[in-house]
Amino acid sequence: MEQYAMVIDLNRCVGCHACAVACRAEWQIPVKDGFRRNWVRRLGPARTNSGMSYTFYPGLCNHCDSPPCVDVCPADTVKKTFTCKETGQTKVMEVAATYKDPFTGAVLIDKERCLGCGACADACPYGARYVNPDLADDNSEGKADKCTFCMPRVEAGLQPACVQTCISDARIFGRKDDPEVAKYLKNGAKRLESAHVKIGPNVYYYGKAKDLELLDRLETPQEMPEASLIGKRALFARVGKTIKKGVGIAGIMGLAGSVLGSGEGDDSEG
Amino acid sequence: MNRRHFLKISAATAAAMASASMSGTKGEGLFRPATAQAALAPETGSMGAKEITSVCEMCFWRCPIVAKVKNGKLVKIEGNPKSPVNGQRVCARGNSGVQLLYDPDRVKTPLKRVGARGEGKWAKISWDEALDEVAYNMQKVKKKYGPHALAYFDHGASAEFMRGIFKAMGTENYTSEPAFFQCVGPPALAYLKTFGYVTTGTRQYNDMGNAKAMLLVASHIGENVHVSHVREFIEGLENGAKLVVVDPRFSAAANKAHIYLPIRPGTDTALMLAWINYVIKKNLYNKDFVANHCDGFDTLKDAVSEYSLEWAAKICDLKLVDMQEAIELLAKAAPHVNIHPGRHATWYGKGDLGRHQSYAILTALFGAVGVPGGIYFPTPVKKGHAECAEPEDAETADAETSMKDDSPYPFSYIFGTTTRSIIKAILTKDPYPVKLLGVNGVNIIQTIPDPYTTMKAIKELDFIFCEEMMAGETAIWSDIVLPDTVYLERYDGVYTYEGLTPYLTVRQPVVDPMFNVRSPYQIAKGLAERLGIEGYSCESEEELVNEELKKANLTLESLNKQGGIVVYEGKPYRDPKTVKFSTESGKVQLAVEDFEDEDLDPIPKYEPTPAPPKGYTRLVYGRAPMHTFTRTMNNLWLHNEMPENKLWLNDKVAAKLGIKNDEEVILENQDGKRSNPIKVLVTPGIRPDVVFMYHGFGSKSKHLTRAYGKGAADGFLMTNVVEDRFIGADSKRTNFVRIIKNNRVLNIPELAALPREIPRYNSRLA
Repeated sequence: MEQYAMVIDLNRCVGCHACAVACRAEWQIPVKDGFRRNWVRRLGPARTNSGMSYTFYPGLCNHCDSPPCVDVCPADTVKKTFTCKETGQTKVMEVAATYKDPFTGAVLIDKERCLGCGACADACPYGARYVNPDLADDNSEGKADKCTFCMPRVEAGLQPACVQTCISDARIFGRKDDPEVAKYLKNGAKRLESAHVKIGPNVYYYGKAKDLELLDRLETPQEMPEASLIGKRALFARVGKTIKKGVGIAGIMGLAGSVLGSGEGDDSEG
Repeated sequence: MNRRHFLKISAATAAAMASASMSGTKGEGLFRPATAQAALAPETGSMGAKEITSVCEMCFWRCPIVAKVKNGKLVKIEGNPKSPVNGQRVCARGNSGVQLLYDPDRVKTPLKRVGARGEGKWAKISWDEALDEVAYNMQKVKKKYGPHALAYFDHGASAEFMRGIFKAMGTENYTSEPAFFQCVGPPALAYLKTFGYVTTGTRQYNDMGNAKAMLLVASHIGENVHVSHVREFIEGLENGAKLVVVDPRFSAAANKAHIYLPIRPGTDTALMLAWINYVIKKNLYNKDFVANHCDGFDTLKDAVSEYSLEWAAKICDLKLVDMQEAIELLAKAAPHVNIHPGRHATWYGKGDLGRHQSYAILTALFGAVGVPGGIYFPTPVKKGHAECAEPEDAETADAETSMKDDSPYPFSYIFGTTTRSIIKAILTKDPYPVKLLGVNGVNIIQTIPDPYTTMKAIKELDFIFCEEMMAGETAIWSDIVLPDTVYLERYDGVYTYEGLTPYLTVRQPVVDPMFNVRSPYQIAKGLAERLGIEGYSCESEEELVNEELKKANLTLESLNKQGGIVVYEGKPYRDPKTVKFSTESGKVQLAVEDFEDEDLDPIPKYEPTPAPPKGYTRLVYGRAPMHTFTRTMNNLWLHNEMPENKLWLNDKVAAKLGIKNDEEVILENQDGKRSNPIKVLVTPGIRPDVVFMYHGFGSKSKHLTRAYGKGAADGFLMTNVVEDRFIGADSKRTNFVRIIKNNRVLNIPELAALPREIPRYNSRLA
């Protein structure tokens, strides 16, 4: 089964923001700074090598092939059984609180197990995640949230909310071998990738050279988020896993202490 | 998340690890499931909600919708899947109807002004008190000054119930929809007189989806969003239509254009007349159509013969080769050419009519009428009339001197009494005093240019009341505010769409009315009872709707059973051999004799619009796709998408002035009026002799807690208003601004040389 992907046809897009509002309505995303599962940024008008461009960046989680947000999740892992909705095939994987579904390719969050630490949000070069601290509970500082490719809707046979509402049919959603999607991919739809950010995003942008140039210039991340930070998240994640295997209290405190220590050091430098 | 926050979590988690290990919960997973479950409802979104079909009113386009209600709460709005124009789609505003319903700044109960007009201080009163007070004042003013002293400014779905009250009181000043005189009046008249039918009014019958070429003159479809139009526009482009965009600003539509012409503001008619001349001289017009269906071709030919492309290139500041390429491209696609008249067409006063007439003439020369891709004929949809929803006796009393019939604008009577004549009459008592104003669905302060004069006029009134949903400018200037239901809480009349895919649908409440609000019909009925006006006998709105549905052989119940909408077959096209126009001669009027009879030009002439005074630049406004008029700026979701407007400033001008992107400035117009602070968008996508902002921001009402003071209000920079000579529409592109940054006045450098033929605006201050 090919992974789900979304294509945004900038030739059709008029920048009306219906996608952003429909998503907020569908999933009741509170209005607060930075809280959103998708967004539209208005780019230009600006000069490009192919003429003037006034285009838009309708962004969302890229549900990447190699999602760094999944790797850094420090939550304890559990065995999770994934089932393919089409074939009934199953697969068991050991996953933390955020994971990539092997059958849909959607990167999802187990809200109940999310710690709200924000490591995943920090690790995403596209800024696709946010943490809602208002959802803090006994065991978390809040909950991370992001686009799910509207998997609950897709499983019910519906289109993602942003796709359904798009007034000019600029958003095309389906598996990568879906004929509509495949046509765009074959015709040169582009991903927001750069030399240092190559993690296999699955949102594609199609359009005139000038619009893709402006989009790329303004919105493609050029660097992955700070490596030392991600390293620290990874260490932190290992702590969690070690605990689960029953390491003694002294070891735990030692590891945790080293995390804290290095964190403080970084803080004073930075 | 910042580092410190991460550390805090680290510490908390370390403690949790320790306690977990010590309590021996080995192997169960360190981090237990969250216990605060309330906020972690299963992710079902809007699925499983109860669905009720209705009609949107976030703008007047009125797309068919489905409201999704869970536990009595509206959670989402989608398009009606059975709608042939939008299907399940709604725009950002349509989606945000949810937040109009639940806006905490709604007017929740009848209000009586206790401070000065405009101050926004109210006392809460009962409906009986409010309606008694309105009725008392209507009767008092009528008795003292006569029926015509009552005037009514209205716009939108349910303004007609109250209009009936004003009619029954005997005034002629009730159909004065500011929308016409501030928006589509000029194209409506130009197309009506050319073709004999209104191709452009509330609806615009432009078949863009089947066009092979399209021309937009400053019409910014895409930023100006009406869903069916955007869809047709995009379908046309996807089907290979070529697009020519003429606009001093690089709009979202310009970005999709094959040829973009950044024209000098105020010279569009020069370009159009030169194109018409070129099409005639080069034999690019449709000879059959002109011979069989047009009157006045020879007159037209003579009248435009002097307008050359060379001349227009200088006047319009365009490259001749681009102008030529554009008109050849349009001609090649004929007759499947769409010249879209746009909306908000009241720009320069003088010449607005002629500009639209020139679009109509070029459309006719291409034979682009009643054929795929051109302008098309509306398909009437049968709907009945609910007599029980209006006054029985509504004869307008004769005025000795009528503002409607003795108007200085010979064609304004078609649309009603002009906004400007009513404001003038309030201030001058000429031709008679106007002392009472009712307002419904119009932001009288922000919509009508020169709000300073409007505010002065309001202060002169004996009484002003409004029906309003939001505590905006109209409400703070009213003596009595009657809180209206929002469109999601009520029925209205039956809606029909006469476009390519005609349909009939109906608005119905999706939730019970919140607060102490009443529907416009119930408000009118309550007033009628107090004023002794017979009629308004429908007991309920359901009765009214069923009455209107009778003629279509429907009931509310049967309509709801078929998904809330009935779609009919459209008949938009005509056989070019037999097509007839509803003008007197049955032919297209290339030269309009009715205009000549009134000493107006039967064929448009180019009259230069004054250029900015030295040191100033022209102010132009337009629409943003996520906002409607001034109505939506306080909407939680739409405010979040666009909380304020920005000033588009040419990058070369900005560099000369030392202004950087996102810097905040204040604008000062030619009469010294200053704006709220506004951030600058520095861009090459606008000419140096013009600045642009999206309309509707900079609210002056503190009761709109989100919108108040955010961005700048274009209307408050409009003090020079020129009226068009045909219908008296108000100009909105005849004001000029300079920039104030850090209390320093910056004069705008002139980067494009001005030809001698174009005079400069003679400002009192400049």
